[in-house]
Amino acid sequence: MAMMWIGLTYYNQKTQNQYNEILQRYLLMNEVTSASQQLITDLNNYLITPTKSNLNRLEFSKEQVTTAKIDIMDLKNADNDFALSNYVNLIESLKETTNRSLTFKSENDTEGSAKEFNEATRISKYISEMTLTLLDTELKTYERFYRGIIEQSVQLKKLGLWLMLLMSFVLLFVTYWFSRSITRPVQELTEAANELAKGRFDRQIKIESNDEISFLAKTFERMRVNINNLISDIHEKAQLEYELQQSKLLLKESQLKSLQSQINPHFLYNTLNTLSKKAYLEGSEETSELLVSVAGLLRYNLKRIDRAVTLEEEVTVLKQYLDIQKARFTDRLNVFMEIDENCLRVKLPGLTLQPIIENAVIHAVEPDEDGGRIWIKIKNNTDYVTVEIEDEGPGMTEDQIQHILLNAGNIIEQSVSEPSTGIGFSNVVKRLRLFYGVEDVIEVVSGKGYGTKVILKIPIHEENEPK
Amino acid sequence: MIKYINIVKKEILLLRKTGIVLLSILFVIISYFTLLSAKNALHAGGEMPKPSTQQQEKQRIVLITKELDTPFWDKVSSGALAEAKKHGASLEIWGSYGNNHEDFIKKFEIAIHSKVDGIIIQGLDTEEFINLTKVKAAFYEIPVIYITNDVNLNKSLRKTYVGSDQYLAGKMIANQLVSDMGVRGEVVLLCENKEEYYQQQRIEGMIEVFNSYPEIQILIAKTENTDEQVISTTSDALNQLPGADGFIAVNAYMAGSMIEEISRRSQVDPYFIYTFDDGPESLALFETGKLDGILEQSPKEIGRLSVEHLVECLNNPMQSLDMNGYLTEIRLLRAVNDHE
Repeated sequence: MAMMWIGLTYYNQKTQNQYNEILQRYLLMNEVTSASQQLITDLNNYLITPTKSNLNRLEFSKEQVTTAKIDIMDLKNADNDFALSNYVNLIESLKETTNRSLTFKSENDTEGSAKEFNEATRISKYISEMTLTLLDTELKTYERFYRGIIEQSVQLKKLGLWLMLLMSFVLLFVTYWFSRSITRPVQELTEAANELAKGRFDRQIKIESNDEISFLAKTFERMRVNINNLISDIHEKAQLEYELQQSKLLLKESQLKSLQSQINPHFLYNTLNTLSKKAYLEGSEETSELLVSVAGLLRYNLKRIDRAVTLEEEVTVLKQYLDIQKARFTDRLNVFMEIDENCLRVKLPGLTLQPIIENAVIHAVEPDEDGGRIWIKIKNNTDYVTVEIEDEGPGMTEDQIQHILLNAGNIIEQSVSEPSTGIGFSNVVKRLRLFYGVEDVIEVVSGKGYGTKVILKIPIHEENEPK
Repeated sequence: MIKYINIVKKEILLLRKTGIVLLSILFVIISYFTLLSAKNALHAGGEMPKPSTQQQEKQRIVLITKELDTPFWDKVSSGALAEAKKHGASLEIWGSYGNNHEDFIKKFEIAIHSKVDGIIIQGLDTEEFINLTKVKAAFYEIPVIYITNDVNLNKSLRKTYVGSDQYLAGKMIANQLVSDMGVRGEVVLLCENKEEYYQQQRIEGMIEVFNSYPEIQILIAKTENTDEQVISTTSDALNQLPGADGFIAVNAYMAGSMIEEISRRSQVDPYFIYTFDDGPESLALFETGKLDGILEQSPKEIGRLSVEHLVECLNNPMQSLDMNGYLTEIRLLRAVNDHE
């Protein structure tokens, strides 16, 4: 804007100067005319009344004319060279003629003096005429120039307007851009802070500018990343702890149960032994055998249940259990066993099969007056051993199955229909899973009214396989 | 809800983009116009005529004529100007119109007082004029060359004369008249009553020719050089010599009026009318067939030669020019007419 103002002022000044110059010329030329006329008048005065003061005036006029002549000489240019030289010389001639007239006068030659005076008058007239001619030439010469000046000032005005428009535009734009460059980072930062406040730590904070806001954004970003990491760490830890707790509780439960079942068993075991012998001595052989089975079962239970036992042992215990139950339910309980002798060497956690059979007995046999049948099949399937326990009981709905299998990890929930103090089905599932480290060791196929089939898939590992 | 917000955001973005595009276009347009305007403004300023700084003064020569803007003198001017340019002298053509003596002499005086370097002027046989040449111009030491119209050598102190040989011109015309008209007849010579030297020369030439033909009668009619006077004198002449066959306008200016008077009386065709080419109407009359013959001079050559000699005189003041003059070519043009 300042530049614009300076430029326009300069041009204005230049134009004015040019105008002035031109005017000066005209004024100078006019000066010549009036000076020469004055000279004639003064000469006339002097010739008529030759006083000293008149003479002085005359001399003064002569000087004026000379000054004018010198000034005029500066006005020469290519166009008026000829005419101006003539002009200057005319002035010279006028002076000379005047001097001659004075000389004649001083020699008292009135006639000669008068003649010269007439000539001087004529020359003065010629000068006036030539002034007009010169002015005319000047006008013509400078007309082009005038037009140029006017044109230029018009163009300059236009330029001024356009420049102003342009400048306003540019200024507006610059202002806008500038303010944007300040507010935008701040806005972005605010947004990002908002996001963080809402708890969404996922979006990356990025602000592209080269100022303090960008620095702030970077620190925000670091903070976000750190928080994120902390959160995931916490999550992991919580997870681990949870699992740990789960296992511990499981263990505790089992231990507790085991302990519970351990407290009185020794006494019971001894009592049973005594009873068995007493029964045998009193001639009740069946009773005695039954008591032996019970004792065997009890003894088995006294062992620590978290150690691995062979399938053979489990089956033995199972048979003992079944003997007992048969004694209770007599015809009502029918068990069919198909056992492949070759795969009994695999290891599995203790007290696995018994609770399952117990479940079957409780749900399938006990409620029904006619009783029920239970099949136990153990097959060798190369990679794993399948143990199938099937009954004809009322079965379970899919929901119930899912419930049991999924809640195997949740030991606090216990099935309401299992009022026993024995180890629950869920417990078995959980232990199996923990023992083998896989989820699908157990499968339950059942339908309401279609009986229940529990399938155990016991993987055969090299460790499990006895040499 | 979120979708809606997203749509609005997208719309705003698009709007912003189009806005930016529009604004940049506007910017380009405005800056283009600004630049255009700037260019115009810078170029518009006119050039101030440069003050003449040359130290070496060109020679100032003036050509003064009393018949400005006539065909004859235009040719003289062009010849003179070309020659002046060649020599690097500056020449100006001054003069008066329509044979105005007063103005003519005034111009002469201005030229002298302006102390020009040289004057080429049409000679005028008046005392005032000769005085200016003899006294004033000599006083200021300005060389003066007469052209086309000379003045008596004894009277004037001109440097030289450049132009046609008027005496010879007169002879040529007279000869042509005789050959056209025949050895017998009556001829009227119309000339100015002011005894101009060049006219006298012409008449002398004619008379010399006519003297060899005793059966040709001559009447010299003198008149003032005004239209009415010319007409009345021609009328008188016709009254005096009703059987006149030939007319010669010694002063070419009078040819027009003379022919006008003749045509008023009768057909121009049968008359043998001649004049010289340095009148304003001469060429026109010749082309329309009113003149039977015209003496053509060499105006361009006159112009050129005069300037050449003047410059020579200025450059070598010691060398003097031929006082008798430098004569240029003349030829007689005959009209092709059918009353042969």
